[in-house]
Amino acid sequence: MNEKKIIELKNVAKSYDGEMILDHISLDVHEKEFVTFLGPSGCGKTTTLRIIAGFVTPDTGDVVFDGTRINDIPAYKRHVNTVFQKYALFPHLNVYENIAFALRLNKVSEEEIFERVEEMLAMVNLRGFEKRDVNLLSGGQQQRVAIARALINKPKVLLLDEPLGALDLKLRKDMQNELKNIQRKTGITFIYVTHDQEEALSMSDTVVVMADGKIQQIGTPTDIYNEPQNAFVADFIGESNIIDGIMLDDYKVRFSGHEFECLDKGFDKNERVDVVVRPEDVDVTKPGQGMLDGVVTSVTFKGVHYEIIVNINNFKWMIQSTDYVEPNQNIGIYIEPDAIHIMKRSEYSGKFGDYSSFSDELEKLSDASEEEE
Amino acid sequence: MNKKSLMQKAAAAPHMVWSVLFIIAPLIFVVYYAFTDKEGNPTLGNITELAQASYLEVFIRSVCFAFLATVICLIIAYPIAYFMSKAKPRTQKILIMLVMLPQWLNFLIRTYSWMALLEDTGIINTILGYMNIGPLHMINTSGAVILGMVYNYLPYMIIPLHSVISKIDPRVLEAASDLGCSPLRVLVRVVIPLSVSGIVSGVTMVFVPSISTFYISQKLGGGNFDLIGDTIERQFQTAYNYNLGAAMSFVLMLIIVISMAVMNRYSGEDDGGVIV
Ligand SMILES: Nc1ncnc2c1ncn2[C@@H]1O[C@H](COP(=O)(O)OP(=O)(O)OP(=O)(O)O)[C@@H](O)[C@H]1O
Ligand SMILES: [Mg+2]
Repeated sequence: MNEKKIIELKNVAKSYDGEMILDHISLDVHEKEFVTFLGPSGCGKTTTLRIIAGFVTPDTGDVVFDGTRINDIPAYKRHVNTVFQKYALFPHLNVYENIAFALRLNKVSEEEIFERVEEMLAMVNLRGFEKRDVNLLSGGQQQRVAIARALINKPKVLLLDEPLGALDLKLRKDMQNELKNIQRKTGITFIYVTHDQEEALSMSDTVVVMADGKIQQIGTPTDIYNEPQNAFVADFIGESNIIDGIMLDDYKVRFSGHEFECLDKGFDKNERVDVVVRPEDVDVTKPGQGMLDGVVTSVTFKGVHYEIIVNINNFKWMIQSTDYVEPNQNIGIYIEPDAIHIMKRSEYSGKFGDYSSFSDELEKLSDASEEEE
Repeated sequence: MNKKSLMQKAAAAPHMVWSVLFIIAPLIFVVYYAFTDKEGNPTLGNITELAQASYLEVFIRSVCFAFLATVICLIIAYPIAYFMSKAKPRTQKILIMLVMLPQWLNFLIRTYSWMALLEDTGIINTILGYMNIGPLHMINTSGAVILGMVYNYLPYMIIPLHSVISKIDPRVLEAASDLGCSPLRVLVRVVIPLSVSGIVSGVTMVFVPSISTFYISQKLGGGNFDLIGDTIERQFQTAYNYNLGAAMSFVLMLIIVISMAVMNRYSGEDDGGVIV
């Protein structure tokens, strides 16, 4: 990345009530970059964003903005604006005044305010809504007002905390495109929080995968998908079969009782590793004609493909195929060397990537909801 | 549909009976007495009698005292309510209790206590005496009367303000500082506009009892500052002139209704329709 660093987090940690919420995270964000924090609920995404915005003070570590340490600068003096999760519009002001709010603090002339608010309204497709009561707008419209309000001061960095979380799927997609366009047009750095991996992959230049208050991986969407660093990332981004394996030699790995050719090297001889195979990279063959044989345990139609669960040596694989197979049918599978991705073992090894608990998981979820009632 | 609305009417019946008995009926009596003479003949004489300078003075003084007491209450109560709403939920509950605590004491006892405090040889002057200050003359002044009103009605300002301010979404306040508001500006630009409804109800709940109060002025003002409430009380208790007393009550009601209408109008224009 050749742009210069606009925000740096250096060894930032935060605890609440003795519980470590952010465990010494470090991160650089560059100018004009679209960075997304992606991770499960409670992993510390909002807390990180609030540290950058200035609403939370880290216990240790530095927050650097444009080369200056800003730990002690209050939120209202930072050149960072936020689009809040539930929009947090000013209920006593109409659409126009909500957007004009930041300008009114700085004695901007009435004509300039008008011009800039109109420009913002045009950008978020809300022309003609000036006099509307914000409390009566739809979710998508409130969202746009929140974005316009945060952008009017031309901040260097815009923070967005799950801004599309409350919208329905169709509107989400539209708004994703719109946000991406706005980011390109304005050249403002976006730091975006979501727990929707598809959203993260399709919008971002850089994805920061977080779990348990730690950064698991930072990379481009393709890196994160194709080269996950550990079992957590592999499982969280898309579907993965994660199998215990042994690296026999460079380019040679053994798992499920078979020796495979692969493209990875640099591991110790006979090192235990996690092997990732994406469901769409597995080809179905006649029994005995592939590398491994197994029995189909379930088939689900998913529109574009079938989702097939296959029991191979008591490990349940997920395979996505456009060809139909029968449950209980014997099949073989074939895996290309470039479809095999080798990862170092981590604390997450063995916790993810086996589809034997696939249906149990759902049952557990429904049990839990019954208990709550 | 019909059945349901009938049910609803039935459910509202006790409230109707209550209203008729305790609100409408007394009102009718007040109006009746105000516009009749001792023999029960219709007359405007009671009202015109109030146009005398001595009564006008009482009315004007009552309005001024109540107005001052209300403004002072607002100035004291707002910061208290604001900081209360910043406390932890449990602390807030305790603070509300503390605010209401004096109200558990009888109104007369509270007022007598202030007499004991403010008298020329009272507790405050005794303490000041030890520090070689004073004695200050405090009792039987207009200040003492207004103090009595403020002390008695302050909780009714704090409680509605606190309930509105504590309901303001903290994220809206964060949004304001995110957009560049210093803490003071957050207060002026967001918190106060969003608490207008609390201000309106607080002002109402202090102004109305202040303007119609009796006894406070008698005890803390030494009878030098007749207020409407005291004058009305005298008509009923000592002069036995129910008709004049009712006429005063009627005019007092008019003053209250007009004040409230003016205030609602003013605040309604100001905030462009916050209905919380
Ligand atoms: N003010 C606070 N006091 C105590 N605990 C807090 C506070 N703020 C956050 N936490 C805790 O910190 C953890 C991380 O919270 P955070 O809001 O950053 O998660 P998140 O990744 O944004 O999750 P989500 O996707 O659900 O929004 C949670 O366990 C939360 O309970
Ligand atoms: Mg969050």
